[in-house]
Amino acid sequence: MAKGFYTDTTACIGCKACQVACHQWNDIPAAEGGRTELSGDSYDNTQTLSAENWRHVKFIEQITEDRTQEGFLQGSRWLMMSDVCKHCVHAACLEVCPTGAIIRTEFDSVFIQQDACNGCRACVAACPFGVVDIGRDGKAHKCTMCYDRLQNGREPACAQACPTESIRFGDIPDLMKLADARVAQLKEQHIDAYVYGKEDIVGGLNAFYVLVDEPHVYGLPEKPELGSKNVDEGFALSGVAAAALAVTGLVSFRKSRMDEKAGAATEDHH
Amino acid sequence: MHPALLQILAANPQSGVALPPRWGWYVILYFFLGGLAGGLLAIAAALDAVGDDRDREAVRLAHRLAFPLVLVCGALLTIDLGQPLRFWHMLIKSNRFPEPLLKPWSPISLGSWIVMVFAIIAFVEFLGTLADAPGDNAGDDVLTKWAWLAKFRRDTLVPARERVRSWPSAVHRTWQALAALAGLALAGYTGVLVTGTSRVAWHNARLMGALFLLSGASTAYALLMLLLVRRGRGAADTTVRKLGAADQWAVGFELLVLALMLISLGALGRPFWSGGFGVVFWLGVVGIGLIIPLARHWIALGPGEHGVTRAARCVLIGGFLLRVVIVMSPQYPAVPLWHL
Repeated sequence: MAKGFYTDTTACIGCKACQVACHQWNDIPAAEGGRTELSGDSYDNTQTLSAENWRHVKFIEQITEDRTQEGFLQGSRWLMMSDVCKHCVHAACLEVCPTGAIIRTEFDSVFIQQDACNGCRACVAACPFGVVDIGRDGKAHKCTMCYDRLQNGREPACAQACPTESIRFGDIPDLMKLADARVAQLKEQHIDAYVYGKEDIVGGLNAFYVLVDEPHVYGLPEKPELGSKNVDEGFALSGVAAAALAVTGLVSFRKSRMDEKAGAATEDHH
Repeated sequence: MHPALLQILAANPQSGVALPPRWGWYVILYFFLGGLAGGLLAIAAALDAVGDDRDREAVRLAHRLAFPLVLVCGALLTIDLGQPLRFWHMLIKSNRFPEPLLKPWSPISLGSWIVMVFAIIAFVEFLGTLADAPGDNAGDDVLTKWAWLAKFRRDTLVPARERVRSWPSAVHRTWQALAALAGLALAGYTGVLVTGTSRVAWHNARLMGALFLLSGASTAYALLMLLLVRRGRGAADTTVRKLGAADQWAVGFELLVLALMLISLGALGRPFWSGGFGVVFWLGVVGIGLIIPLARHWIALGPGEHGVTRAARCVLIGGFLLRVVIVMSPQYPAVPLWHL
């Protein structure tokens, strides 16, 4: 059975316990030796997923001009979202990886085998969610869904640490039912919530979200495509160009010879 | 997340938000030299197939250059890896040595094999040029200077070539077709590699493979013309004229494909043609690299050899700058050029 994360962003309080738990369990060093560099446009100090942040809690500060708040998630609001690798059903990183380092596990998660990765960075360019990053060791890194914990019957560290149950871990169909129920509950409160990560997003995400604003507000693409989508067309168009080159090249090479022969024949005739 | 990226996401629902893969000068050089090597091998195969004895020098030059160039390409690709000693993981399953690993749907995996096959073909052709009688070709003095090489040539290469020459012409034709195919594949796949990413401008540029392929061919034509003229073959020389005629076609197609690509990209192509890279694009790639060589008959580049060499240099400069703009601009749109 496919396992994954369901993240209810409306329950997230931005405590970053998931980020800390991820760092602790996976023994990930702090970026820049722990030096904090503020972005200047958000209270979020880690800013993005990276080789050092496999979990990242996004702060989206939506403050109205008059700074009024009209109730739960109305008016001025802070949206929080604990972002992570989506462990896509059709994973662009896995598809493109030339070394076979990226595999799909028995839990349907996407895992990078560090002993096989050679740091070619194809996965970095392929991931439509900007998840995979290259670490200081020259290898690609991202969330492993705590593969080692799953193999021992434990849930991922982030889900265990989450104090509000914003992050839930379990079987995908069960989680999707929970997400649909939560969306229905929010809609009753006139909040325009929806599930991001059903089959319409690259075949489905094994880490999906309940969101209350447009995907791009959360830094997510609305309808991402696999990097490979245009590859066949690219090769076909290259084939057309190659054929045009071959024809014009051969004609140019032959034409000169023909012209010469014609010239020689004319001279002979005279 | 950077506000500019959020704007892109809002405007382009189909786009992804892939991080920049930090491709830099190694990749740019590889794309340029790979295109050049691929073009040289393909041109040599075509000239060999339909040319005459006077074209032999150009064929030999192309074969002498293609193999060293692909060796440089291999070195560039290797040092660009985060773990260079694991370069062989691109071709062999690291956990099931020596089982080969090929994912034909992945341009980078397919490309690794293209480089490999190309290198083997280019190596054979390179050895073939060494078997030729030492003459006034580039590097021929080495054949007589180094005793071991002269012995290897006399005892191994020359007899081997004689045997190969006795093979049916169908075999030679097939080999030429393979060499041409490998050359075109090497020149073109790098563009498709770019298309196979999730960076907005790259992903939507379906014509990038065609563009790189045409650019690889045009730069290879230019390099051959340049070298032939330098070796005393004048602008009126038959081979130089043949290459010049073919190059005009290649550059013309390149301009057409570039225009079609920009039109099809619309606003998504903005990184290529605006900002600091826009200057390089319009002046370097379009102006110097395409318009001047195409209009060389009307623009005063100088008569005879000067005109040919200047046009050829323009094509080479434009081809290199094309890779700079295509690789760098979608990754670092706001970075001043002098900081790269």
